[in-house]
Amino acid sequence: MIKDLPVVPSAKAGSMAAAPAGAAWREQHPVIGTACNQCLECTLFCPEGALVQTGGNMTVMLSLCNGCGICAVECRLQAIAMVREYTGVSGVFPLREEKV
Amino acid sequence: MSVMLLTGSEAAAYAAKLARIEVLSYYPITPAFPAMERISKFIEDGELNTEFVRVECDHSALAAALGAALAGSRTFTVSNSQGLLYMTEVMYHVAGLRQPIVMAVANRALSAPHSRFPEHGDAISQDASGWIQLFCENNQEILDTTLQAFKIAETCRLPVMVNYEGYIQSHTQEEVDVPEQKAVDALIPFNRIAALDVNNPQGINTVTGPEFYMDYKYHQNEAMEGALKVIPQVAREFAQVFGRDWQGLVEGYRMEDARHAVVAMGSLVSDARIVVDALRNEGRQVGLVKIRSFRPFPAAALRSMLSAVDMVTVLDKNIIFGAGGALGNDTKAALYGYRSLPVKSYICGLGGRSVGTREIRQMIDLAENRVEQRRDYEWFGL
Amino acid sequence: MTLSIKDLPQEDLFGPGNAGCRGCGAAIAGRQAMKALGPRTIVSIPASCMATLSGSNQRTAWQVPFYHTLFEIAPAVAAGIRAALDAQGIRDVNVVSWAGDAGTADIGFQSLSGAAERNDAIIHVCYDNEMYMNTNGQTGSQTPLYAITSNQRKGKQTCKKDMLAIMLAHGIGYAASASISHPLDLIAKLKKAAARRSFSYVHILTPCYRGWGIPTDQSVAVARKAVECGLWELYEVEDGVRRRTYEPSFIPVAEYLAPQGRFKNLTADKIQEMQDAVNRYYHREEGKA
Repeated sequence: MIKDLPVVPSAKAGSMAAAPAGAAWREQHPVIGTACNQCLECTLFCPEGALVQTGGNMTVMLSLCNGCGICAVECRLQAIAMVREYTGVSGVFPLREEKV
Repeated sequence: MSVMLLTGSEAAAYAAKLARIEVLSYYPITPAFPAMERISKFIEDGELNTEFVRVECDHSALAAALGAALAGSRTFTVSNSQGLLYMTEVMYHVAGLRQPIVMAVANRALSAPHSRFPEHGDAISQDASGWIQLFCENNQEILDTTLQAFKIAETCRLPVMVNYEGYIQSHTQEEVDVPEQKAVDALIPFNRIAALDVNNPQGINTVTGPEFYMDYKYHQNEAMEGALKVIPQVAREFAQVFGRDWQGLVEGYRMEDARHAVVAMGSLVSDARIVVDALRNEGRQVGLVKIRSFRPFPAAALRSMLSAVDMVTVLDKNIIFGAGGALGNDTKAALYGYRSLPVKSYICGLGGRSVGTREIRQMIDLAENRVEQRRDYEWFGL
Repeated sequence: MTLSIKDLPQEDLFGPGNAGCRGCGAAIAGRQAMKALGPRTIVSIPASCMATLSGSNQRTAWQVPFYHTLFEIAPAVAAGIRAALDAQGIRDVNVVSWAGDAGTADIGFQSLSGAAERNDAIIHVCYDNEMYMNTNGQTGSQTPLYAITSNQRKGKQTCKKDMLAIMLAHGIGYAASASISHPLDLIAKLKKAAARRSFSYVHILTPCYRGWGIPTDQSVAVARKAVECGLWELYEVEDGVRRRTYEPSFIPVAEYLAPQGRFKNLTADKIQEMQDAVNRYYHREEGKA
């Protein structure tokens, strides 16, 4: 079956956001703590635009986040913590260094 | 209409002007540069309202033309030989992006050894590039075909090369009927399609995987096959308005009751007409088939032209090393499985070696007198 | 007027869903830049990481017209787009050619130089990860001295070509360096470039965790260290007037170099050699870190 394709090889603007690839191989994700003062700096350092201010709160759009951890490193108030995804054995039994 | 004494270069330039090109981009090369300079003069004299991108190389010339075409402008460029080879990467890219750029090509031999003289090797090097390739036999046809090229390109959404030979055509004056602007406007109205448009944003040429690439190529080839219908259609429309009928894909000249057909393209055709007339006067049943569209190759139209002849002689101003002449090979491929008849293939006129009426006649005589060619193709004029 | 994050548009014209690696510096640069350039922008990007992560099959991460060009031609294409817009009387659109260090300084240099010399009204952005990262990280002209690459395991033995100096030698009206670690500085520079009707050049440092041998969360931090140690000077040259846009704190260059895998071969002598070069450049006392 021959695919019906546009004459000029092209893609609809913004269409990647609908099916982001990165979230599938994410190993950790940010959780924003109460120390956040909504300075918005992290929003400019996220490669995916996964950190957004909505309704006066900072939200992590997990569908976009691929877990690089830049936001947690860059936050001046250390208000962002990276939390491991469930990743098999290491998810069930957190690695030793993560034990408090 | 007004009749002017124009070189082939000027004929191409007048056509670009009459087509009201919006963007022009080129990088100077011999012998294409007079066409370039003539269009620039039109712009500088205020006779043509066109943006000129004065690029730093041939590769960028076609790249700039491509950017302009993607942004929706009618775009023209000129080149040949080394410039065309340098553009090759962009040639395939333009075709794959289905942009209707028209390029005039003043055919010239390829280096090495260095040559600045006419032959078709440069055009033939682009035979798989996805560009429609039309060949012209005289300066009137250069003007008329360049005008038609815009309509063909914009209808098929494919780029078009209009080929004419360096010096033999680019630098030689002939009487050319230059059409009225109004009539040209009516024949080739411009329907703007912008792939790059801030009001309708799209990502162009995203990385394409095995699940899509082949389908794009299928559609591209279908467009090329579709050009086999569009080219004659545009030629007919043109003839209805201007009275000059270039016949579209192929033209048979004195092919009625011909036993021996000569197949050629480009400047050889006008000389071959004279030879055929002379041979007919001597009672020899020789006809001529002019190939106007080299890509897409009009195999079916050519077969029908050759349906009753006893032999075919193909003249090629190019050589595909180790394989023969491009037109000879394509002619044989078109006939294979339909008719079994001798096809003699001659490589001639490379790098500007003279091929006139005398030489064409010699090749026809050779073909008729020698039963078997030593090889699938022979060199003439060494 | 100082820019504030709160003044920037929240809307992302590039980014969401892009297929970049974790912590991709190039993607960060793209997001920051689009905060300055806005929706009436056309972007041409040659073969590169940025073109690859920007679109795949029928999808793209751009909200503005984006065209994935051949490797050498992004500036020439941009020039053609500008010509077409001019021909059509469209005056309010930014045309940007956005290339990596190869598409800018090496394979793309000829068409870039041509567009700069013609003073075409386009912005060329070089996002510089200092290696050919889309093909696994080979050496290029923007690879710095001593950096290990995938085809020079002993490190590069020649210096990084100074693209800003070269572009300024074209007599262009605006050229600037930038870093993803200083987004407001970057955004202000692109806004300046966009406000002009002439050729502008912006060269952005965009670390790549794979090529540089750093953790994915360090892309921005390491770019900041490059600025703070003085090796990556943030400046602009506007109509011939040069201005440093950020005064570094002059942390030791070792703090920038040592954590990077690509500099693991650096000896103390070589680090000192680079520290001395920085000190000389900024007219600081010899030996002072």
